[in-house]
Amino acid sequence: MRLLLVEDDAMIGESVRLGLRRDGFTVDWVQDGRAAELALANAVYDLMLLDLGLPKKDGLEVLKTLRRGGNRIPVLVLTARDSVGDRITGLDGGADDYLVKPFDLDELSARIRALLRRRAGRVESLMQCGELTLNPVTREAALGGRRLALSAREFAVLEALLDRPGAVLSREQLEEKLYGWEEEVESNAIEVYIHGLRKKLGADFIKNIRGVGYMVSKQ
Amino acid sequence: MTSIRRRLLIWLVAGLAVTTLAAALAVYMRARMEAAELFDYQLQVMAAAFPRGGYGEAPSAGDEDMSAGDVVVVQIWNRNGSQLYWSRPGSPILQRVEFGFSTVATPRGEWRVFNTLIDGNIVQVSQPMRARNELAAGLALRTMLPLLILLPLLVGLIWITVSRGLKPLNAVAAALGRRSEDALEPLPVRRVPGEVKPLVAALNDLLARLGRALDAQKSFIADAAHELRTPLTAVSLQIQIAERARTADERTTAFAQLKAGADRAGRLVQQLLTLARSEPGAAERPFATVNLTEIAREAVAEHAPIAEAKGLELGLSADTVVSATGDSDALRTLLANLIDNAVHYTPSGGAVDVAVFVRDGQACWIVTDTGPGIPADERQRVFDRFYRRDVAGAAGSGLGLAIVQRVAQRHGATVELADGAAGRGLRVTVRFPAR
Repeated sequence: MRLLLVEDDAMIGESVRLGLRRDGFTVDWVQDGRAAELALANAVYDLMLLDLGLPKKDGLEVLKTLRRGGNRIPVLVLTARDSVGDRITGLDGGADDYLVKPFDLDELSARIRALLRRRAGRVESLMQCGELTLNPVTREAALGGRRLALSAREFAVLEALLDRPGAVLSREQLEEKLYGWEEEVESNAIEVYIHGLRKKLGADFIKNIRGVGYMVSKQ
Repeated sequence: MTSIRRRLLIWLVAGLAVTTLAAALAVYMRARMEAAELFDYQLQVMAAAFPRGGYGEAPSAGDEDMSAGDVVVVQIWNRNGSQLYWSRPGSPILQRVEFGFSTVATPRGEWRVFNTLIDGNIVQVSQPMRARNELAAGLALRTMLPLLILLPLLVGLIWITVSRGLKPLNAVAAALGRRSEDALEPLPVRRVPGEVKPLVAALNDLLARLGRALDAQKSFIADAAHELRTPLTAVSLQIQIAERARTADERTTAFAQLKAGADRAGRLVQQLLTLARSEPGAAERPFATVNLTEIAREAVAEHAPIAEAKGLELGLSADTVVSATGDSDALRTLLANLIDNAVHYTPSGGAVDVAVFVRDGQACWIVTDTGPGIPADERQRVFDRFYRRDVAGAAGSGLGLAIVQRVAQRHGATVELADGAAGRGLRVTVRFPAR
């Protein structure tokens, strides 16, 4: 899952990025409101983490512009503004959740997963498709009760496909979910991961729609 | 305790008593004078009306009481000095003949005597002075009696009036007494008597100033708490990252970042303390003569390693020893903040120059850099505490220039921001008052 982190404080931004990366998220980080808007224009993000006190354009303004433009990306506000009034303003301004600084990294991850789950219309934290079960919290996968050994990237590919079963994701879309800005994308890396996954899950689990992309069927 | 009520009461009652006494005395004197005239006239008339000749033997009165006020004694002597008549034997014999009126001291008190010659006989009519004194005293007493009776009544009236007069003061005191410590709205001025108005106005003024000081404190604390939250959030996150480190390398990096985060929080607290100390009303150290050149030399030396590491040319231009009056620690902080800023914002390869000199009798410090400068429309706002400019790499506390401003104000100095040399960078001038 690819997240956009908007945070002007270098130390906080760096730590949040590190922490979320360790939890399996791909994180892009910008430090002001304008840069956030530019990044959002690409529409590759599954969720945005937004600080409110931002240079150049205030976080709340960014949020309002975003919602006015019809963008429905889940937004989790991270802020030091802790009064009830501020929280109400934030939520009414279009935020899906509100977390007051200082916060716990595990709680942040959990809230991000909850928002992603809700967006996908799931109520269970486990992702399931036929015999396959993915646990986004522990990053573990099981097939028919048997634990599957997956690399972090392979897990990420499966997670992206299982997030919307029946939807076709192109190779580029999968790459965007897996790689942040600074990361070098190895050519045909996605094909390599799909190949590995098919060996572990069986050849038909991930379907190749020729010329379009990959898909996991709704069961 | 000084009580207005008691003082008023004592003075009014004492004044009243003294005036009453004085009036009584005046009435008594006046009455005595008039009684004297009246009685003298009576003696004269009595002497004139006395029968001529044929005086019988004076009746013997024995030991009659001679002290009664209405006693009048008549004695008559013939030319040879033998007594012809004595109306009350036993009364004092006042033989010294002196015609007309006279007052004579006798073993029985003072007597008023009238001697006259009638048909060759000496007729003497006399009367004790006490009679007229008693009359006068009685008259004075009767005149003053109503006043004496009225006196306690007046005291009561004064008591009530004074109490009523002081009521507005009590009302003000009660209104203040009922307040909680954060109720600082002004006291009502309407219906307050003119004498109490200045007090209420002064109190209201004090309340207003207190309110402003309290608001400033509150907003400072709120701002400070808010500002502290950011570095503390960073530290808290850095701790969580360090806890989760899986390799020794990750742990080393995490701890280095954690240390940087803690340093930053510590610096912010330090700056907040410095600012609080430079606020008006804080315990201020006494001013002394300060060597501005020496402070500048120390500050430049202190920043030299950082400037060197950043690839900046940092230098001092000072010709002579320049002095000012002030608090050397505070001034050191001021200059250090200015050099900090200059070094922080000036990109590698630039220069920061500190100059000390006297112009028009005013000592000056100038810090010039070749950094991005500050646009004219922001030059006022950068002095606000916690104001941060929207520029990359601006990770300061937002307090540096606020501290500079406060310290300068305490010294009566001005701080001016302008473009640096050739319109590039920033030039900060601190101008001290002429000595």
